[in-house]
Amino acid sequence: MSWIREGELNLLEKISANILKAGPMPKHVAFIMDGNRRFARKKNMERQEGHMQGFNKLAETLRWCKHLDIREVTVYAFSIENFKRSKNEVDGLMELARHKFEKLLDEWENLEKHGVCVRVLGDLNMLPLDLQQLIAKAVVSTKAHNKCFLNVCFAYTSRYEITNAVREMAWGVEQGLIKASDVSEPLLSECLYSNKSPNPDLLIRTSGEVRLSDFLLWQTSHSCLVFQSVLWPEYSFWNLCEAILQYQLNHTSIQKARDLHREHQAFQQLEADRACVAEHLQHHGNGKPADAQRRQEALLRYSTCREERIQDFLEALKRKRDSFFNDLWSDGVST
Amino acid sequence: MALLYGLLWRLLLVLVHVNRALVVWLRVRLRSWKGRLWERAVAGLLLPVALAGFPDHQKKLDQNPDANANPVTGNRTAGRRSRWLSDGRSLEKLPVHIGLLVTEEEPSYTDIANLVVWCMAVGISYVSVYDNHGVFRKNNSHLLEEIVRQQQDLLGAEGSKCNVEFLSHGSDKRQHHVVSCSPTVKVLSPEDGKQSIVQAAQQLCRSVENKERSSKDISVSMLDVLLRESKNVPDPELVVKFGPVDSTLGFLPWHIRLTEFISLPSHRNVSYEDLLSVLQRFGSCQQRLGH
Repeated sequence: MSWIREGELNLLEKISANILKAGPMPKHVAFIMDGNRRFARKKNMERQEGHMQGFNKLAETLRWCKHLDIREVTVYAFSIENFKRSKNEVDGLMELARHKFEKLLDEWENLEKHGVCVRVLGDLNMLPLDLQQLIAKAVVSTKAHNKCFLNVCFAYTSRYEITNAVREMAWGVEQGLIKASDVSEPLLSECLYSNKSPNPDLLIRTSGEVRLSDFLLWQTSHSCLVFQSVLWPEYSFWNLCEAILQYQLNHTSIQKARDLHREHQAFQQLEADRACVAEHLQHHGNGKPADAQRRQEALLRYSTCREERIQDFLEALKRKRDSFFNDLWSDGVST
Repeated sequence: MALLYGLLWRLLLVLVHVNRALVVWLRVRLRSWKGRLWERAVAGLLLPVALAGFPDHQKKLDQNPDANANPVTGNRTAGRRSRWLSDGRSLEKLPVHIGLLVTEEEPSYTDIANLVVWCMAVGISYVSVYDNHGVFRKNNSHLLEEIVRQQQDLLGAEGSKCNVEFLSHGSDKRQHHVVSCSPTVKVLSPEDGKQSIVQAAQQLCRSVENKERSSKDISVSMLDVLLRESKNVPDPELVVKFGPVDSTLGFLPWHIRLTEFISLPSHRNVSYEDLLSVLQRFGSCQQRLGH
């Protein structure tokens, strides 16, 4: 079945959506779509069928999100931990993924019409090569779309993602693009797989489990977390509304916490810059303590230089990542 | 039209708040009633249960109002201590490390101290206390005093051996109260979360800068070891969240990948039974670890 569902909401759904939209709405929602296998057991289906139903529910949820003006959705499709499952199940999931990404490419015109940009986040080199090539094709061909964004976490865990970000920064240091002292919280965020997206406002996990299972741990530190007991393939528009209402009830306090964190982080950056400048002045000064104005000028110069360095590094990182996908795509085309 | 929807939305919020207040009021009223009646009353207010945010503990135990209201006598404290220890042993599983995440402003040190003492008495080895303003960190001596006081009240002289460590960001300041005995209390603040990860990243990048290692050497386990070295505790298996905010508010992002989150409405006047029901709920959580 298709990734894109057409169709309007019914009257009651429309009214509820409009009521919710009168309040603050999440711009980016993340889903842990848990419960496919339990659903399959419950309905006496094959596991594979449960996963298929799960995918269908995803497509439907994207339609609801579109009507609720939720422009960005991130989903946890396959964890690196899931490789531990039986070979049968893993192969089945890879096959399902192949099928779905092929379907995605078939529907390219529809995706263009709706402006859907598909991104796949994860350690993709853990996947079979042909699947990597399909994914690259999907990502590259929808790159320019900008009306709504679907991020699929595949072969992903948060710890791998954070470690990868640290590795990229270390690479930047190796290349002489940045210094170790440039490493900061915002820089690390920019090096994550999800760097093109704002942090999720709302994280929803279905099936009643109350843990994060290594999903977006960095990005959801100040998100609204909603745990719902419904199984994913049984998720309804009303479940989504319930979660959004939860977000709205938490909005003010979470916003406050976010602002506090941002302030604190900005203060720490300033302190770090000051320390670097002080050290620099000490080494290059003429022995006399610098006056306040000179310190201030040096601070400004230093932070401007730092920001330029960081921009150059991020450009280089972007080029590296783009060429990873472009190379896969062109390899895929030529084979 | 927009105005109408705006009004309807405000009405919806009011209804939710009223519902929540009702649930809280009922919970207090029905504490002494049998469990089933409580369930029915809550089912009747279906919406607020669904909107209770993080799933609340659902089983209400037989109440023991006696738990911490009475003056201290040797026998009573010994009895309490052994009861709590046996409660701990009877649980299906007990977390090695529990996190107490307080989202409410102006925390009550007595209640937190009670929780810490109960956790240790039940057999939990590591207890972390966290709030996102860093209030506990700033007032750690006050908290320490309170914990010691509650230990003496609730557990008597025997029970006041505990290793209370306060994580201090950056420098290696550690204050030990009395040496020996395994339970350890850690006081955490947002700096122990993302900032620690950034510091570990800086350390690794510096070693790359000094040509001590290559960027390709950096692995998940390397980062994990660094993050564990400065904290030397296992990942929290359970975090109990107090207060109305449905977020981790920056609590140890790296360490909570498999943590179960169970919430209680407030830490003020929290009872031992509240904690025990959370631990029972934790006992029934099944981790599949990817399988």
